[in-house]
Amino acid sequence: MEIGTDEKQGSLVLIKQGAEARVFESNFVSRRSIIKERFSKKYRHPSLDSKLTLKRLNAEARCMTKARRLGVSTPVLYAVDPLLHTLTFEYVEGPSVKEILLDFGTNGVVEERMEDIAAQIGDAIGKLHDGGLIHGDLTTSNMLIRIGTNQLVLIDFGLSFTSTLPEDKAVDLYVLERALLSMHSSCGNVMDRILASYRKSSKQWSSTLNKLAQVRQRGRKRSMVG
Amino acid sequence: MKVFEVDGTTLCLALFDEVTNSKELLDLMQAGTLEPELALLNALLIPDVFPVLAAASKTLLAKSRQSLTTRTPHSELVYNYSGSKHISESLKRCGISESSTYILVARFGGSADEMAAIEKLIKGKEIDLEELERRANQAQIQKHYKISSLELGISSLADAITCRIASRDAL
Repeated sequence: MEIGTDEKQGSLVLIKQGAEARVFESNFVSRRSIIKERFSKKYRHPSLDSKLTLKRLNAEARCMTKARRLGVSTPVLYAVDPLLHTLTFEYVEGPSVKEILLDFGTNGVVEERMEDIAAQIGDAIGKLHDGGLIHGDLTTSNMLIRIGTNQLVLIDFGLSFTSTLPEDKAVDLYVLERALLSMHSSCGNVMDRILASYRKSSKQWSSTLNKLAQVRQRGRKRSMVG
Repeated sequence: MKVFEVDGTTLCLALFDEVTNSKELLDLMQAGTLEPELALLNALLIPDVFPVLAAASKTLLAKSRQSLTTRTPHSELVYNYSGSKHISESLKRCGISESSTYILVARFGGSADEMAAIEKLIKGKEIDLEELERRANQAQIQKHYKISSLELGISSLADAITCRIASRDAL
């Protein structure tokens, strides 16, 4: 008999705090893991608060695993705790696309790597959209590149939902376009490369990109006047 | 036999092949007189120990909150491993049948005495846990957990199972 793993699930290290959740690093039965805790909002009525928190927690778990079923890499989900409102998932080793692109901005673009990353992003979004899944928060900090394999991993499905409307897909892409413009304009036109790969990956690219042109004219929010 | 630590409790796992007394084990278990109490899993559906440990962690959490769905932690482990909400179907598919010969045995918090008892109880040849990956029935696993080849392009079989175990109650 031998002891397989002696590390207890214990040490919690806070690594990020947002408006909706706190993110900790921890261990889940011998594997390095991330715990995302949705905390309660004191300004909401307690019963409404726990209902909303739980609903969003479950939605995030569902969307993360749905993305995997569509062939898009996301962290492996280890556990869902409906009482503590936490999700435990795989710790992905590697830099975010944001870090990589910022580095390209200061030290010059590595053409080959840029092409690979853009192609993977377009391909992944195309797969999600064809499967009726909208990420909802496509920014370069929500994309990781796994060390060793250089595989793109999408994270943070906290704002994800299912929809097959071209409008929702276009807005999803538009959010990414704006994020790229504001953060990484020194990297050249990354969005065009992403869209080129999206066109190859998504069968419904045409209606989505037509819609995207309209969304660009008016912004993310639809006008509700009249 | 290997001991794993899951959330502060130990879980002993042992893999047996060429088991000849499955019917007897099944009868004892269904009568509730299996001593010591065990979880007997259909090892053909297990490509790695990690999803079993994830299911064990889920079981221990439910037990600590007195919210087990089934009668004992050991049956709960089998039920959790299945990734499905259908209890009897889970026990049938992920547990053992009268004709099973390839079995993974799990026991929470086992002592050395109990382990010796287990080795006597199961009439078969104990083999290394490393054998799990090689001997798993991939087609059966893909069918049971509904894992497409698209998903296997970005994920291992074990990770795909783990996700289903974890997200079952969120669906």
